Amino acid sequence: MASEATAEKFRALTPSEFFYRNRELAGFSNPARALYQAVRELVENALDATDPHGIHPTIKVILQKVSAERDNIFSISVEDNGIGIPSAQVPRAFGQLLYSSKYVLRQTRGMFGLGAKMAVLYGQMTTGRSVEVLTSTITAKNIYYFNIAIDVKTNTPIIHEKGVYRKNNGWHGTVVKLYLEGDWTRSKSKIYEYLKRTAIIAPYAEIVFEDPEGTITYFERSTRKMPPPPREVKPHPKGVDIEMMRMMLKATKTKTLLEFLIKEFQSVGEVTARRLIENAGLLPDMKPHELSTEDVERLVRVIKSDTKIKPPSANHLSYVGEEIIKVGLKAILKPEFVTAVTRKPSVYEGHAFIVEAGLAYGGEIQPEDRPVLYRYANKIPLLYDEGADVARKVVDRIDWSHYGVTFPAPLVILVHICSTKVPYKGVGKESVADVPEVEHEIELAIREVARRLKRYLSKKKREREEAERAVAIAKYIPDVARGLAKIVNNVREEMIEKELLKMLNMKLRSFKINSVSDVVVGIE
Amino acid sequence: MREVSTVSYMSAVDIKARKKALKKIERAFSKLVKDILSGKTPTLVIRKRTLANTVFDAERGLLRIGNATLKRSFLNAGEAKKFMQTVLIASIIHEALKNDEYPTIRDLYYRGKHTIRFRDLATGRVREENTWDEQKESDSVIRDLEVLIDMLREEMLILSKEKGKVVGDMRIKSGDDIIDLSKMGHGAYSIEPTPDFIEFKDVNAEFVLVIEKDAVFQQLHRAGFWKKYKALLITSAGQPDRATRRFVRRLSDELGLPIYILTDADPYGWYIYSVFKVGSITLSYESERLATPSARFLGVSMIDIFGSDKLKKKPYLTEAERKNYIIKATDTDIKRAKELKSYEWFRTKRWLEEINIFLKKKAKLEIEALTSKGLRFLMDTYIPEKIETGDWIA
Ligand SMILES: Nc1ncnc2c1ncn2[C@@H]1O[C@H](COP(=O)(O)OP(=O)(O)O)[C@@H](O)[C@H]1O
Ligand SMILES: [Mg+2]
Repeated sequence: MASEATAEKFRALTPSEFFYRNRELAGFSNPARALYQAVRELVENALDATDPHGIHPTIKVILQKVSAERDNIFSISVEDNGIGIPSAQVPRAFGQLLYSSKYVLRQTRGMFGLGAKMAVLYGQMTTGRSVEVLTSTITAKNIYYFNIAIDVKTNTPIIHEKGVYRKNNGWHGTVVKLYLEGDWTRSKSKIYEYLKRTAIIAPYAEIVFEDPEGTITYFERSTRKMPPPPREVKPHPKGVDIEMMRMMLKATKTKTLLEFLIKEFQSVGEVTARRLIENAGLLPDMKPHELSTEDVERLVRVIKSDTKIKPPSANHLSYVGEEIIKVGLKAILKPEFVTAVTRKPSVYEGHAFIVEAGLAYGGEIQPEDRPVLYRYANKIPLLYDEGADVARKVVDRIDWSHYGVTFPAPLVILVHICSTKVPYKGVGKESVADVPEVEHEIELAIREVARRLKRYLSKKKREREEAERAVAIAKYIPDVARGLAKIVNNVREEMIEKELLKMLNMKLRSFKINSVSDVVVGIE
Repeated sequence: MREVSTVSYMSAVDIKARKKALKKIERAFSKLVKDILSGKTPTLVIRKRTLANTVFDAERGLLRIGNATLKRSFLNAGEAKKFMQTVLIASIIHEALKNDEYPTIRDLYYRGKHTIRFRDLATGRVREENTWDEQKESDSVIRDLEVLIDMLREEMLILSKEKGKVVGDMRIKSGDDIIDLSKMGHGAYSIEPTPDFIEFKDVNAEFVLVIEKDAVFQQLHRAGFWKKYKALLITSAGQPDRATRRFVRRLSDELGLPIYILTDADPYGWYIYSVFKVGSITLSYESERLATPSARFLGVSMIDIFGSDKLKKKPYLTEAERKNYIIKATDTDIKRAKELKSYEWFRTKRWLEEINIFLKKKAKLEIEALTSKGLRFLMDTYIPEKIETGDWIA
């Protein structure tokens, strides 16, 4: 009996079972966090369906309490004007974990094929209700309706209902609606913060949000300029490890090792390919699938230590750009001063990345004891684990007094990292790791915007001082003019006043005083 | 109805003075207006009223203002206010002269004081500022104006409180009246703020005694000192005002009377004497008219108190009297004495002796100590003896 009781039973878990048990890994750890995470996943899918395709996003998010009796059941509906989903793909896109159109080397917000399904799965677990999807692609003649659940055991979609409607307007896009248990009170500020920060990084989007209390918030579209769309790229040899190399060798349609290296990778031409092959002790015309484990290991090692391979190109990266960052910060924060910088592409471990930094100062920004940091990775706002993020580390280590800022000060710093592979810390995708190359770029970017702030502040100070000096003189013009006109015959007060003001204005560099009455409002 | 004419009630000297003052003010400020209208930065160039710019003219024995000037440009933020204040005070004085008025420096302060409400362009807030807050400020620009147009304020018919008094066998004409200074009863004639307009008629006196303390002046007056010794008796009642100094100067210049000065035996008394004799540092530009270089320091001297073996002089006070009357010098007294020692006009053998005794003994004495010893002693022994024997410091 004892032996039977202790015997181990082996079986495989489907992805849906795995994530059903480990939902906190995907951010669905408690009702508050789950509500926030669901909003976020659906909004990011909506954005992924629009801006990379040149469509100005219009997104409507509605969060409602389902019944008056139950305080913790909500419906989420997110509508976009994106490219839509081909009807054949809808069931798997929402009913099968690890199913995605984003498994290519291209910079997008989503990339794991998990987000929408985790929301569906969590909703299903907590309310028993399935997801409803309404979608139409740009070229489709119909609008499709689906009611889908996930079969957790088999990780396959169950279609409860399907409808097809004739499309008689040009609508395209997707509406996703699902039900889940949540905690609005405890997630409210995070959800608002998330939408605000999304609006900052994507000011070309228009976002409407109706919250469970019926409050409607409208984030207006403040520019029509959009970032360059991301493009799919071949991997760079330095970003490929042994396992990936083996998979690529197995999957390739090329006939020789030489051709494989040239065609499947970026930055590799014939000269480079031959050098790598020779240094690895291999032969150019070996068949790709004939390489032994040791051959692959040697090839990867040679690639890693080769110093002459061209760095990865960054053409495929979709950075936001200085203009849009400035527009976003200005529209949402209403600061007195705003600036942004997009750094030149850089590389870490074979992955190209671009760091952008924005800075907003003064105006309606509330003074805080340290700079407020808005972190983004591939246009996604990162709200959690700020303390562990490399950007926070950089911001905190900068001596801001050097840039003319003394705290408390109204200062917001935005840091955006875009890359086909953002070096997240852990699986939470909430903070960026201390990769030296990335850290260095962040520091250069922040120092650049900080220098611009310093220039602005000292110019402003100079101007304020000049204004003070000018007023210190102008306020006495009427008394001097009147006094002189009284003593000296045949000169009019106005004449002297005019001449004195003219002389004063000639000395001023940053502004002019139009009339003495702009300064002197009364003499009593 | 009677015809009212202000002119007929005013003395002729005043009318003349007004014309002259008006012309001087107009000349100085016309130049400024001309500069402004031709686009030149309006700048007032005024000689500095500082110790560094005070020169002791050893030959004439008086202080004079040096040639160092300060430029006050209206287009300099740090100088604009003083510039405005100078123009303001000039225009008020100008107006008063035209209207036949006799403002006091206090009147001028009030007439010029008003509030400027202005907008701070950097913040947009409206703020307020007074043309001046304290009389100190308007007094200071009055002095600047005096230097600028080289005229004393009395010549511009600006009055101040009368402080100095005089009695003696003498007749003067003030305004249109003849005043007999020997018929003042127990009172005395208050020296008017514009002593230049006084006319000396006749005098029967051999010397002038100027006393720092009003109380001692009154005692000597009532005791008949001036009658008995043929003196003109004057008190400055502390620091002398300009009228008293000018009056004393004229007595010396025009009547050739020797001037003796009696003060407390301390650095303040010495400085009062020095103001009469060479002029004051802050008003050195006035010394030309106010200082009396021939004035003599009669006492009370340190040697009067302590005696001097070297000069073979016995003290006027006994050991016991010294004990009773001497007051211990304070730290400020000592500091002041050291300052005086550095002034050129105090660097004579006799004065250095005085100051050194003071610094050694750290003792001072009031004139009242001598009347305590006995009014008769002061009147009939101390003063006449010292004058007769030439026991003064020149
Ligand atoms: N609003 C939408 N519009 C168009 N396509 C969508 C939308 N939402 C989801 N999809 C499709 O469904 C796929 C799965 O979405 P998701 O589970 O969130 O994974 P991921 O976003 O990581 O790919 C996406 O790759 C995309 O092709
Ligand atoms: Mg997604």
